[in-house]
Amino acid sequence: MSPQLTLQTPLELAPSEVPTYLEQLWSPEQQGSTGTGANTFSLLIWQPAWAEQQLVRSGRLKGPITGQQSDSLVAAGRQVVVDADLPLSTPPLDGEVIAAAAAFDGQTQSEDLRGQYIDPALSALQPRRLITLAPTIDSGKGLETLVAAYCPLPEEGGGTAACGDVVVLRGGHNALQDGMNILQPLLPPSMPSWVWWNGFLDEAPALMEQLACAPRRLIIDTAVGSPRHCLDLLRHWVTTGQPVNDLNWLRLSSWRETLAMVFDPPHRRDALSHIVRLDIDVEGHHPAQGLLLAAWIADRLGWSLDHTEATEEGTAARFRRADGTEVIFQLMSVPMGQPSVHAGQLVGLRLICQPDDGKGVCVILCAESGGCMRLEGGGMASLDLHEEVVPAQHSTPEMDVARLLSGGHDSTNPLLAAAAPLAARLLA
Amino acid sequence: MVATITNPLRVGLRQERVIAPQCLVIFGASGDLTHRKLVPALFELFKQRRLPSEFALLGCARRPWSDEVFRSKMTEALAAKIEEDPQAWEQFSAKLFYEPVDLQQPEDVVRLGGRLEQIDQQCATRGNRTFYLSVSPKFYGSGCRALADAGLLKDPKRSRVVIEKPFGRDYGSAQSLNQVVQSCGQENQIFRIDHYLGKETVQNILVLRFANTIFEPIWNRNYISSVQITAAETVGVEERAGYYETSGALRDMVQNHLTQMLAITAMEAPGRFDQEAIRTEKAKVLQAARLADELEPWNCCIRGQYGPGGSQESPLAGYRQEPGVDPNSTTETYVALKLFIDNWRWQGVPFYVRTGKRLAKRVSEVVLTFREAPVHLFDAANGGPTSNQLILRIQPDEGAEFRFEVKSPGSGMRSRPIDMEFSYDESFGEPSDEGYVRLLADAMLSDPTLFTRSDEVEAAWRLYTPLLELIEDSPWQLPIHPYESRTWGPAAADALLARDGLLWRRP
Repeated sequence: MSPQLTLQTPLELAPSEVPTYLEQLWSPEQQGSTGTGANTFSLLIWQPAWAEQQLVRSGRLKGPITGQQSDSLVAAGRQVVVDADLPLSTPPLDGEVIAAAAAFDGQTQSEDLRGQYIDPALSALQPRRLITLAPTIDSGKGLETLVAAYCPLPEEGGGTAACGDVVVLRGGHNALQDGMNILQPLLPPSMPSWVWWNGFLDEAPALMEQLACAPRRLIIDTAVGSPRHCLDLLRHWVTTGQPVNDLNWLRLSSWRETLAMVFDPPHRRDALSHIVRLDIDVEGHHPAQGLLLAAWIADRLGWSLDHTEATEEGTAARFRRADGTEVIFQLMSVPMGQPSVHAGQLVGLRLICQPDDGKGVCVILCAESGGCMRLEGGGMASLDLHEEVVPAQHSTPEMDVARLLSGGHDSTNPLLAAAAPLAARLLA
Repeated sequence: MVATITNPLRVGLRQERVIAPQCLVIFGASGDLTHRKLVPALFELFKQRRLPSEFALLGCARRPWSDEVFRSKMTEALAAKIEEDPQAWEQFSAKLFYEPVDLQQPEDVVRLGGRLEQIDQQCATRGNRTFYLSVSPKFYGSGCRALADAGLLKDPKRSRVVIEKPFGRDYGSAQSLNQVVQSCGQENQIFRIDHYLGKETVQNILVLRFANTIFEPIWNRNYISSVQITAAETVGVEERAGYYETSGALRDMVQNHLTQMLAITAMEAPGRFDQEAIRTEKAKVLQAARLADELEPWNCCIRGQYGPGGSQESPLAGYRQEPGVDPNSTTETYVALKLFIDNWRWQGVPFYVRTGKRLAKRVSEVVLTFREAPVHLFDAANGGPTSNQLILRIQPDEGAEFRFEVKSPGSGMRSRPIDMEFSYDESFGEPSDEGYVRLLADAMLSDPTLFTRSDEVEAAWRLYTPLLELIEDSPWQLPIHPYESRTWGPAAADALLARDGLLWRRP
């Protein structure tokens, strides 16, 4: 499937006219000409696409600006890492890359199709309303409000044409802030509303606060933004009952599955009660994902956190098992030559279990994309070793979001809700 | 089941595939299946967070219940399960609704359409619907027609119909029913349920065969000498006499469950794990299957009926003494059959299939017996060497077992058989989901892989047509052999194998 564009050129309206226009568009009198409004969900996307905007402006990436995470965007980001002499372990769409790209000369103009360029994974779900907030790198730019209706092309075998609309609010930060008052009437209360914050979690806090309010369901990525801020925000939302989904947590699913698989055979379960050490290696200096995994393990096994501290390599902590025994935890950041797009992706995990009487057990999980020689070294010979390779996931953020939207929940996943506060505490 | 602690890391991880927002409509909601299987399965899916928040269950039946009455009936029926997690039930039961509907009354179905739109608004279920026909089989055709006439099956992507077994009574009626339901919607909207296909262990046959390279090269007539498929029950007819009297073991078990196990055991490898590819291979193998003696079916089929049995302390009534059963009934409660599959893989390999009620043990299994070693070099502890056997245990003690010869300890070179075992309990330690949990989830996911396609159903009925005709036209040629309750069936069934120099495996 290729990305879909709206069938008509979006209509530019004054912000105040948008709610009335859309109301009329879906009024019963108009339904004959426009089809039936899909009774599905609304999706509001914060879509800054800073890296893409800067790369297009500096002529390092061909437009138009779409807001999608394409291979060419990632490749251009990697080139900036090299050209700006950044550490090679810098993720290609990281803040440092954006800052470096912003310093490049160039004034290439390109069409901005954010909000009109709909990923097929999302359009297949027939969102009733897709609202995109598209901040521009020119912070003084005024507010543009674009509206378009779309209907899927009739498919073989018939079916009801369920149509939706697209609203784009584009402009500088202040202009967008001014445009916020039209958002509430644009989100029909009769259907679920999702907010996907597809940007840094520590940018535009006032806007974020306005957007993220229950019962809206929030989608964030705790790999994007400062780790402290990301984990604190996640904890805040979890504790205040805001339904939240974290793409960084979603990307951990194959790690959690593989680790659970190791302990599926009942004869291995006893080892879970005798863990004395947990090591986690992550790419670069973003520990959020690694801490979420450690927090999940600690929560599931009933450990309490005794102490945590920042070290040169990452984080060191001590947990206490229910039987009072100490568990040493160390999260170490590992430089990678070809880092993942997502900051702080997991590289490896090691659990050492030492029963009082009996042979110790060591479990090592390694990412398919990188080895974990560090975890394999040192005194494993006397232990019963179980080693698994965790398959790499190749889904785009749009595919992950579509997965959430296709059958979502109006509450936070209980496992994430339990792990998030502990992960925030673990970050010293 | 091995007594063990739950794997704490496994909790909450069963969220592989996402069910889209939808309304599941159960027709026959006041019936036994709804509170015994369907609602418990849905509650389990809810507890596993596999149902989306935008989900509704609309029960429909002729009884003039309200939403509240339906909820309280379900609460009463699921009391034991609710006790484990009352909070979850509170949330789940808020998603239960009820609408009095007689599918034979067009105005009722029109009203149902209105109620569904209301639920779409209330629960944001996106007009996506799965209709489950848990009604008398005679209403399958008219039920589908009523739904289609009301426009409720118009959208092939957002409407599905699940049809319970039995799908037809014979080849002709299955064909007619297929014609009716296919005129109401597309084939990919029709989900003919066979709950055996929902069993983890039946699905595992596919994985065992097609995810390993060691089995497939020997999975054919060159290495396998015979196959036995058994589904034995210890229970009698219980409260199902009314239905069972008109069906019997051949229609109740063989045509569907056992034939599906046969198809999965014998099918060719599909090119990809794709719903149509798998169902095509299953249909092909069933089309190639035939009774071992189609002209004289009595040579390859034994029918039996359980008589009294048990002990003096706890006697068991015979079938004809069961409430609701004709005292002169000639309905079979046991069937043993010999089949062949006329294709390159299986030519000449006999498939023995048996099922029965009130047998000695509750067990379902597939046993593949391999050819003997061409030369016997060693003395065998029990006379002659035992053929290698691969035993796929469907239930209980789900798993697999491979029997082969090893050197018997001691100074001589005698061989004896031993069993190498794989047990689901030992390896995973978690109970598998009920078949209905898997199948309901698949239907709501629009994944028909584990449901039978029209050509499969017809091929299965066609396979047994000579027997059904014989039972209909000259039943004396397929006499009923009585057997004592809690034994392994009539002696005639043993003779069926003895003629080929074989024995039924005693599980």
